[in-house]
Amino acid sequence: MLRVLIKKDLLLEFRSKEIVVSMAAFGISVIVLYALGFNASSEEFLKFSPGLLWMMFLFISVLGLHRSFSIEKEFDAFGLLLSAPVSRSDIFLSKWISSFLFLLMSQIIVLPIFFLFLNVSIPKEWLLWILVFLIADLGITALGSLVSGIAMRVRMSEVILPILLFPLVTPLLISVVKCTHGLFNGLLFEEWKIWFQIMVTFVLVFGVTGYLIFDYVSEE
Amino acid sequence: MGKFHSKSIKLNIFNLQISIPVNKLLFGLIIVMFAFGLYLVLVVTRVDAEQQMAQKIFYFHVPSAWSMFLAYFLVLIAGIQYLRTRAEKWDRFGLASAEVGTLFCVLVLITGPIWATPIWGTPWSWEPRLTTTLILFLIYIGYFMLRQYGGDRKQIARLSAIIGIIAFIDVPFIYFSINLWAERDQVHPQSDMGGQPTDVLGTFLFMLLTFTILLSYMIRYRMHVLELDTKLTELEHGI
Repeated sequence: MLRVLIKKDLLLEFRSKEIVVSMAAFGISVIVLYALGFNASSEEFLKFSPGLLWMMFLFISVLGLHRSFSIEKEFDAFGLLLSAPVSRSDIFLSKWISSFLFLLMSQIIVLPIFFLFLNVSIPKEWLLWILVFLIADLGITALGSLVSGIAMRVRMSEVILPILLFPLVTPLLISVVKCTHGLFNGLLFEEWKIWFQIMVTFVLVFGVTGYLIFDYVSEE
Repeated sequence: MGKFHSKSIKLNIFNLQISIPVNKLLFGLIIVMFAFGLYLVLVVTRVDAEQQMAQKIFYFHVPSAWSMFLAYFLVLIAGIQYLRTRAEKWDRFGLASAEVGTLFCVLVLITGPIWATPIWGTPWSWEPRLTTTLILFLIYIGYFMLRQYGGDRKQIARLSAIIGIIAFIDVPFIYFSINLWAERDQVHPQSDMGGQPTDVLGTFLFMLLTFTILLSYMIRYRMHVLELDTKLTELEHGI
């Protein structure tokens, strides 16, 4: 059933292309604003780029997370989904995985532009870099899907989602920025291993919490 | 005051029946304890050689932080209990604890910079504990906004119970990561309370007890007001 749910989300996106395109477009706009707003040299950008990069990804993930749940509000699709013989935890997992995929897709579009416009060189250890990306994205979307599921149930959900999500996600943001800083500056893995471990723990804890608690979130 | 003062202690002194409501007694006790605490802090305890009078705020700052964490822990308990039992009293307990906890959170955020201004030379430093408190404050701003926009009462209760649980799960992550992040800002006093002289330790423990009693009184009182509020809404809507 989980596969069917993920397929539904992906199919909807492949037909409309509204989530990934809007996330990527927003990301590119933010990069342009960074470049124009800071007017800094590439050395100066190197110092701040890990923070700037992940703040941008956090902003665009909110856009995607909100859309991925608000789409269910239309024509009361969520109500129908709940009345279908589907485990509520599977709904969480499907939203988590599809949001993760949407974030990843938009990052694939936005990331080269980030490196190009801000003159930051691509890290050499790209395998580790990909791993950091995957873990961080899983963390943002695990907690994000849970919070978005909650925010979707109330008025002004587009406001409530970032207000709730940003403070909650700070540990992950700090960790991924530290990991990215290590990668950008060619530091040894041992030097930032602890941050990587925090990220993995974060993903596990909030993945399991979301899986267990989503039953209560989605009650009618 | 209705039910809040309904429990009372009955005394028989010289054949004179005296009935004192427990909560009024508790309120009186808190005032006396605070007055005595102030005396202990300002008169009895020694003035710190290094920090002078600024150190005295420690007797309010730390108990406020303790009360905040205790209150937020109660939000977690209330959240779990609400999801298990669906009894409205747990929702009221959770909300009252969140409100009072946030009040103490604000006190921590005010007293911290007051102390930091003369000692660190700046009101704000991204010191781990103060930063953790600030992030908790922001999370609870979201919690209250969620309650404001939440829709029907049962849904608000359910969703805010979940946020209370998630917030508490997040606390160790926040603290641990900020602690590592701000290693260069480790300027928060890290004193071992066990090694303190009796006047400092005694006053500190007394203030801790006073704040804990105040916290329990405020939560109980707030729960009572919330219950009246619910009843009023029900009457207005003819439920």
